[in-house]
Amino acid sequence: MKTFFLATGALALLLSPLGALCQQNDPNSKTAKPGPTPRTADRHADLTGYWKSTRDSKFFWHIGKDLPDRNLPFTPAGEAALKHNQTATKDPESLCIIGGAPRHNVTMMPFEILQGTRKVAFLYGDGSYRLIPIDPQRKHSEDPDPAFFGEEIGRWEGDTLVIDSVGFKDEKIWIDEYANPMSDALHVVERWTRPDAEHIHVETLIDDRKFYTKSFTYSRTWITGEPDDQVREFSCSENNVDEQHLGFGPGPVRKDGTIGYEDPAPLPPPIPRSPAPKE
Amino acid sequence: MKIKFGVLVAPVVGFALATALPLLAHHSFSAQFDGSKAIRVQGTLAKIEWTNPHTYFYIDVKDEAGVVLRWGCEAGAPAALSRRGFKRGDLKLGDAVIVDGYRAKDGSRLMDARRVTLPDGRIVSGASEGDGGPQVPQVPDPAGKKQ
Repeated sequence: MKTFFLATGALALLLSPLGALCQQNDPNSKTAKPGPTPRTADRHADLTGYWKSTRDSKFFWHIGKDLPDRNLPFTPAGEAALKHNQTATKDPESLCIIGGAPRHNVTMMPFEILQGTRKVAFLYGDGSYRLIPIDPQRKHSEDPDPAFFGEEIGRWEGDTLVIDSVGFKDEKIWIDEYANPMSDALHVVERWTRPDAEHIHVETLIDDRKFYTKSFTYSRTWITGEPDDQVREFSCSENNVDEQHLGFGPGPVRKDGTIGYEDPAPLPPPIPRSPAPKE
Repeated sequence: MKIKFGVLVAPVVGFALATALPLLAHHSFSAQFDGSKAIRVQGTLAKIEWTNPHTYFYIDVKDEAGVVLRWGCEAGAPAALSRRGFKRGDLKLGDAVIVDGYRAKDGSRLMDARRVTLPDGRIVSGASEGDGGPQVPQVPDPAGKKQ
């Protein structure tokens, strides 16, 4: 019976004008032929804009999504850290701890980039931000202050903004939505490009020999928001009721590897309603 | 004023998929809520917190014995709801509200407000977008208001 209802609903959607609209909309692009990459006065690719997620992979929440079967090369310490995260820690972001990098590249959270000549700012929907100095001569500190985004140094390689980061917090945060671990040995190299007017792309190299036996990469593409979109005010600790109700880890994982329930119970049907009164 | 548990009927009319791209997930749906425990809470709005990281509606519900129980309904952040056209002024204390969603795994009277029926008849998504929770078909507003 349930299958019948779902099939009927899907058919109704496909036959409706809205269904036709959905089939035409590709969430991964806005126009058939996006315009050229915008450029700043100093002729670098201009990454400035409000960026939101495409749906080019159902596994973008997983830091190993670009590896065969998402098999991460854990060390024994990495395996233990993963188990600890899944069974004994609540999602750090739900506790208002900054997700940091690379996790902010893994979530669905939109972000805004403001690009200057000497600094590039990343502003996030959770109220956090990154200020990346652009200085090809700068070297990492010998003993950087631990930070959720690490000690970040930026440089341009042609049209690619390279952000090299070390000095991360020690095992405080998850590297992705699946509770995979990261340590203070993490070294991240992000390579940001804007291939056209509508898209921004990152190739992220993750090298953490405390928890992973070898380095690996994670890639992701975002699409521009609407012209009036911008990051809005957000204060995580204003009323964080969740903290006392959350369980450990990310919750159940479906057979196909995505986070969530295999077959959630449907909600009660909507109650028929009359049109809203005229104002 | 009533509560229904485990209703196993799928809505079949007025489908409009929630096509807006997710904004901000504070945590995964499945870390806090039980996808097997669908619930409808129908009652009187007793308190509203238009706050980060989530908006909360507290609804007083009278059970069959006449005892009033207060339910907390967790919705998306104010900015996320506002983008859908769900504004603070759409609700006031004392309003009759219907919330459909899922119970918290810890057994408390807290639920995920996946779908909210407002006093003016509009049905809006209260979901925390990007949380990996069940995709709930939304119902288009006949008056054409944004959802």
